Amino acid sequence: MRSPAAERRRPTVWDGLVVLAVVLLAGVLVFLLRPSEGSAVTAVVTLDGAVVAQYRLDQLEEPATLTLQEASYPLTIQAEQGRICIAHSDCPSQDCVRTGWISRPGQQIICLPNRLIISLSGAETDGFDAVTG
Amino acid sequence: MKRFLPFFLCLLLLSGCAALSGEAEPAQVQFFSMDTVMSIRVYDGGGEDAIQAARQEVERLDKLLSRTTTDSEISALNSHAGDGTLVSMEPEVIQLLAFAQSISQLLPGDFDITIAPVMDAWGFTTEEQHVPSDASLSAAMALVDSSLLTVDEEASAARLEQAGMEVDLGAVAKGFAASRAEAVLREHDVTSALVDLGGNITAIGGKLDGSPWQVAVKDPQNTSEALCVLSLSDQTASTSGGYERYFEQNGVIYHHIIDPKTGYPAQSGLLSVTVVSSNQMLADALSTALFVAGEEDALAFWRSRDDFELVLCTEDNRVIVTEGLEAGYRPAGEERGYTYEIARR
Repeated sequence: MRSPAAERRRPTVWDGLVVLAVVLLAGVLVFLLRPSEGSAVTAVVTLDGAVVAQYRLDQLEEPATLTLQEASYPLTIQAEQGRICIAHSDCPSQDCVRTGWISRPGQQIICLPNRLIISLSGAETDGFDAVTG
Repeated sequence: MKRFLPFFLCLLLLSGCAALSGEAEPAQVQFFSMDTVMSIRVYDGGGEDAIQAARQEVERLDKLLSRTTTDSEISALNSHAGDGTLVSMEPEVIQLLAFAQSISQLLPGDFDITIAPVMDAWGFTTEEQHVPSDASLSAAMALVDSSLLTVDEEASAARLEQAGMEVDLGAVAKGFAASRAEAVLREHDVTSALVDLGGNITAIGGKLDGSPWQVAVKDPQNTSEALCVLSLSDQTASTSGGYERYFEQNGVIYHHIIDPKTGYPAQSGLLSVTVVSSNQMLADALSTALFVAGEEDALAFWRSRDDFELVLCTEDNRVIVTEGLEAGYRPAGEERGYTYEIARR
């Protein structure tokens, strides 16, 4: 059985519309599925599992300071373009303050006594899946 | 209508791209347990149910094994120290105690789970860390002797023979939890996952594309950098180093890995020890024991066995990688002055 479309020699306007729709849709999908910006670095601060702050470090124009009085041991987080650190913490171990600045996706600052985690995510990674140590 | 058929077919094809990019996102959870941060990432199989079941298993073990939880099995054992009571315990805890004792026997003087009183004298388990007085340290050292821990596997019970003795499973609990978490994940048909229990990494299977997981070893002198990267599948990498927990007093740095022979932080010439093994408990226990033992003894012990591999980082900036890890390993700290060598049998 031959379809009416197969009998015609020249493409019609409708054929053209289909081609156009496919091309447009492909364009939209290419846009939607593009890898996220290479330099994007997002810092997420969680206190005992709840997100308390979020920064796009690559887009930070001015330094930002966040003091968490509600933490078991009050602490101050400092963020500036491209990097973030715990500037001060009342916690006994001070491991979090000693970690210093972090700037690359995958890096974390952890304050165990406060159950606080600052983690960086982004498209660029260091080429490994986990860290032992 | 037929001219729209190719259109819908294209749509179907393109939607395949979206599904593929979504598949790479694992089901994951991050939580606090056993005094550390843990995360579980699952790339296939039971997903969300699997990670929650594994997390519950780790939390159950924490309650069972913690020395600071008053109703734990270990607290029951410690509270009956010296009173002659044979304390009945869960068979899995008894097996763990027996395993820890076997490591003490293999590496005498380098590993002892009855070190707890000395850890307390240093304040490593509390908020006040300090150098203990000679009197309090020698009193605590008199209580360290794992041969005075009786483990009766048949009766599923144990006893500490001397009053004041205490067991702390900090050097083996995470390895045990990793083995149980892996078992739970596998029961949920998981074949590709990463379990991170406070820096002890258990790689389940490989990545979905079949390649091994890439696991970085932390640079002990610059913890935001990698010392080297290892290729692992169905293996656990466990690391011990003085940099993990320490304090400073009068300009001297004291770290938390105590040498059972001296009662002082181990001074073995090593900055960190990473043990890679398909046996999670062995990897965990040996990373502590071989850090205390030092380079020469660690390599001699490695040569005597075939069930683990090592990465040693020395105080003089050498990184020694045993030959079983050579394929698929890459150095990452040359520009920070490290030199890399392969140890052979």
